[in-house]
Amino acid sequence: MKPPPFAYAAAGTLDEAVALLDEAGEDAKLLAGGQSLLPLLAFRLARPSHLIDIGGVEGLDILEEQDGSLCVGALVRHATLERADLSGGWQALREAASLIGHLPIRVRGTFGGSLSHADPAGELGVVAAAFDAEIVLRSLRGVRTVPARDFFLAPLTTAADPDEVLVEARFPTPGTGFRSVFEEFSPRVGDFAYASVAAGCRLATDGLARDVRIALGSVGPTPVRARDAEQALSGSFLDDTAIVECARLAAETCHPDAGDWHADGTYRKALVSHLVERALRRLGAGP
Amino acid sequence: MSAPGGGLIGSPAPRRKNRELLTGEGTYVADIRLEGQVYARVVRSPSAHARLLGVDTSEALRVGGVVAVITADDIDDIRIPIRLPFAESPEANAVLQAPLAADVVRYVGEPVAVVVADDPYVAEDAAELVSIDLDELEPVLDPANSTESSQPLVHESFGSNTIGRLAYRYGDIDAAFARADVVVRRRLRVHRLAAAPMETRGLAADYDPGSGVLTVWGGAKVKHFTRALLSRVLGLELTDVRVIEVEVGGGFGTRGEPYPEDILIPLLARRLERPVQWIEDRWEHMVATNHAREQEHDFELAAGADGRMLGFRVRGWCDHGAYVRTQGLLPVVLPMVHLPGPYEWPAFSMDLDAVLTNRTPVGTYRGPGMTEATFVRERMVDILAAELEMEPADLRRRNLIPAESMPFSFMPGPGSGAVMPIMYQGGDFVTAFDQMLDGAGYDRMRVEQRQARADGQHAGVGIAAYIEFAAVGPFEEVEVIGGAGNVVVRAGVGSLGQGVETALAQIAAELLDVPLSGVTVEFHDTAEVPQGFGSFASRSTVLAGNAIAAAVDEMKAKAAPLLGCGPGDVEFRDGTATAPGDRSVGLGDIGPTRGRFEKEGLTASFGGAVCSVSVNPADGRARVDRFALAHDVGRAVNPRLLRGQLAGAAAQGIGGALFEEVAYDEHGQPLSVTFADYMMPTAAELPDVEVTIIEHGSGSNPLGIKGGGEAGMVGSLGAVANGVADAVGDGAEVLTSSVSSARLWHALHRPRRA
Ligand SMILES: Cc1cc2nc3c(=O)[nH]c(=O)nc-3n(C[C@H](O)[C@H](O)[C@H](O)COP(=O)(O)OP(=O)(O)OC[C@H]3O[C@@H](n4cnc5c(N)ncnc54)[C@H](O)[C@@H]3O)c2cc1C
Repeated sequence: MKPPPFAYAAAGTLDEAVALLDEAGEDAKLLAGGQSLLPLLAFRLARPSHLIDIGGVEGLDILEEQDGSLCVGALVRHATLERADLSGGWQALREAASLIGHLPIRVRGTFGGSLSHADPAGELGVVAAAFDAEIVLRSLRGVRTVPARDFFLAPLTTAADPDEVLVEARFPTPGTGFRSVFEEFSPRVGDFAYASVAAGCRLATDGLARDVRIALGSVGPTPVRARDAEQALSGSFLDDTAIVECARLAAETCHPDAGDWHADGTYRKALVSHLVERALRRLGAGP
Repeated sequence: MSAPGGGLIGSPAPRRKNRELLTGEGTYVADIRLEGQVYARVVRSPSAHARLLGVDTSEALRVGGVVAVITADDIDDIRIPIRLPFAESPEANAVLQAPLAADVVRYVGEPVAVVVADDPYVAEDAAELVSIDLDELEPVLDPANSTESSQPLVHESFGSNTIGRLAYRYGDIDAAFARADVVVRRRLRVHRLAAAPMETRGLAADYDPGSGVLTVWGGAKVKHFTRALLSRVLGLELTDVRVIEVEVGGGFGTRGEPYPEDILIPLLARRLERPVQWIEDRWEHMVATNHAREQEHDFELAAGADGRMLGFRVRGWCDHGAYVRTQGLLPVVLPMVHLPGPYEWPAFSMDLDAVLTNRTPVGTYRGPGMTEATFVRERMVDILAAELEMEPADLRRRNLIPAESMPFSFMPGPGSGAVMPIMYQGGDFVTAFDQMLDGAGYDRMRVEQRQARADGQHAGVGIAAYIEFAAVGPFEEVEVIGGAGNVVVRAGVGSLGQGVETALAQIAAELLDVPLSGVTVEFHDTAEVPQGFGSFASRSTVLAGNAIAAAVDEMKAKAAPLLGCGPGDVEFRDGTATAPGDRSVGLGDIGPTRGRFEKEGLTASFGGAVCSVSVNPADGRARVDRFALAHDVGRAVNPRLLRGQLAGAAAQGIGGALFEEVAYDEHGQPLSVTFADYMMPTAAELPDVEVTIIEHGSGSNPLGIKGGGEAGMVGSLGAVANGVADAVGDGAEVLTSSVSSARLWHALHRPRRA
């Protein structure tokens, strides 16, 4: 449980980080909070040639609304997000952050690290998928933006190239009246969830659900959107029948191969349906 | 007059060393730094079962900083012996483990080579370069069918995967079943668990060629046995081997037994004439250190319609893993002696097989055998209660051995093998059982359960009653040295965090009437403590405590002539030995005195656990909302330490029921090698553990003490499983000791047979 040899450099600015990463080549890795990368190194499951430490880069911890989006900087710690003044539409983001690991992990772990690590059980990726977040990547070649649905490719694999730094994600501000929640099942407090759900909708004055968003974690190679379930619920009342049907459809979205020896696919599917129900009942109950 | 040491036995003195340990000032084996030390890394088998065709160390040897690489070819062909004579058999001795695998590897994690380097990182880099040439064989993975002829052999030369069958017959079992009104039968499974102390194992060893003395740090639990073993296998005089215990971050039965590394690291220190340190990492720990508990039992219970339990038949398979280690056949012996428990069975018949599989060897883990046996028996008692529609507590009370029948024994009858007889020296089980129910507020638990059910919740209450055999002999010997203002007690026990040095100091201080602060207990160093049998089986306070009492008697005998009186007239008062007429001598004038306490057999104590459980059928989660236990400790030397031991053990047990499991895939690859996968409970998942201490004395030793270090574990798996079963009612059958959410959800949603 000692990492294999690697070279280390600390970046002071984003420009420096981008340059160092470029220079170090394909096998280099950024080091942010270290809460996923260091365990991988200890198990020698990752063998980067270089670690470029971005922990001290200034300006990457922005958390504010700009131009119709909530910008979350790569270095925003889970603990910051958890305590941020985010309610109503953004509530799911705050709830998701609070469910990550244990406090010492949340104090160190970063938003950008979590998205880049792309663990299908990662709560923040599920929220990013639910909100259609735009992910901003930067390299010496320039800046580009990738929508969440194209960002997560497979477990621990994203659309970011080895020379790209994830700078921030932008969550388009939803319409007024939109609310969101996050629900998950983990065996112990702080464990990676066996299944998780980010759900949101706007209940219009006519009482009908609009702009329904449901994304699932831990039940496929990437976070998945439960589109059929969203559609089924759109334009209907959040009553028992609709909720149960929506939960059933959401569970159908689970990847058939999802699961491991702790919790197989059948069980996870049942958890999804249970969690979607719980989330929708909370949305229906109002703030 | 209130004496300085008066009333110390029974007082809740704080544990010694709390401050140092809590403020990070303790020295653990990984803190040891010796001039010029080098670091060892063990290269382990990646395969569960394979022929070992060759080990190529050349590339590793070329790495800068590497000092040595050894394989089986470089050491003598030895086996690590069984430590306890009563756990030996010729068959068990045929499948002992060598420090390094030679021809066949038999579990993932088996040591194959050791790399030594001047830096621990380099050692790990080089270890990756040792290449192991393997020819894969089929692994044996399921204990219950390991003996079928279709299965490959774990040890080809031994010719069988069964290394022993224990048979125990008592009473007329056929008659019991013939007159039964009800028979319940189930196959029950106890899952594989690991003790997983927070501190992994570790060793530092140093050989001084000048004096010829080998010093080994990090051994705990059985230092004197380890010393004798090292002296034998390394060809050193006993007095030239010194084993030193440093702080220990949890033992639980697994840490401190002599393992392959306990031979390899001292051997390397001697060969290289340099200090060598080895610290196990968590992955290694989960594959290298003893596992525990895995077994399966076909159990049949016969009873009358009135709830009188008439007899049981059990056929079981107890997994020993790939080798028999130092604890020998205890993984099969201990379940057997604990299966009958506290009930007055007219008859029973037990056949337990000790079997081998291609997985990490099995040893003892806190509450060994008794925890498994209690789960099996108590689950069956509840299944019977459901069948008879009887209240589970009433059914148990009706069958407990009455106090009038004490002492009680189930002597092995015709058809039994060479088994340890099951004997209970005393106790009042019925009273203790009711004390437990009262302490737990059992009636209120049932009322609350009814209310919860009325609210639509799945609420259950689970009980388990047990007998724990502990305080195993054969002896413990101590030396007591009186001096001005200080008494030194030297005892060959180990301090594994349980606070034994505090308890022993209390005993010495009370008997010699000195203040507690005036007693020093030395146990760390075999060079200073001549003899000892070690700390296991909840024996340290019982054995060493009574040895102190013997030494104090001996001190009286030695003081008598100095005082010109008979030994019976000598009294210890305020740090002096006094005789009638105000004559006195200082403790220092009496001279160092030995005391020895010898003990045959095991001390039985009664106890149990009661818990309330709620289950959410939608996600399968079971929560233990309350957990109360009671244990007869004979006499509580330190109730504060005892509560800590009982509550801590219960927490481990609850975690074992709800979360923990050592799992393997179909190739014998271990799946639980981190704390993300081997899920220990945290404070968030545990209720307060409520403890009722019962003090029913014990005739078997002068101080009247019984074991207490493990007891909190014993009822845990059984009580939690019974609570869960009660909560889900007819919804699911609970037949395994693991009630993880996934298992429970599946049990609840399994298509039911008609
Ligand atoms: C015990 C434990 C429990 C945990 N439980 C959970 C949980 O329940 N849910 C959960 O989601 N997570 C959990 N985590 C992981 C935690 O959330 C991590 O903090 C997060 O996944 C990674 O963030 P980090 O800043 O620590 O990244 P690091 O570990 O430093 O890096 C992770 C990966 O992301 C890359 N990276 C980091 N920053 C950037 C960037 N700005 N641009 C491009 N690449 C980057 C790194 O190169 C590396 O490949 C747990 C961790 C531990 C140790």
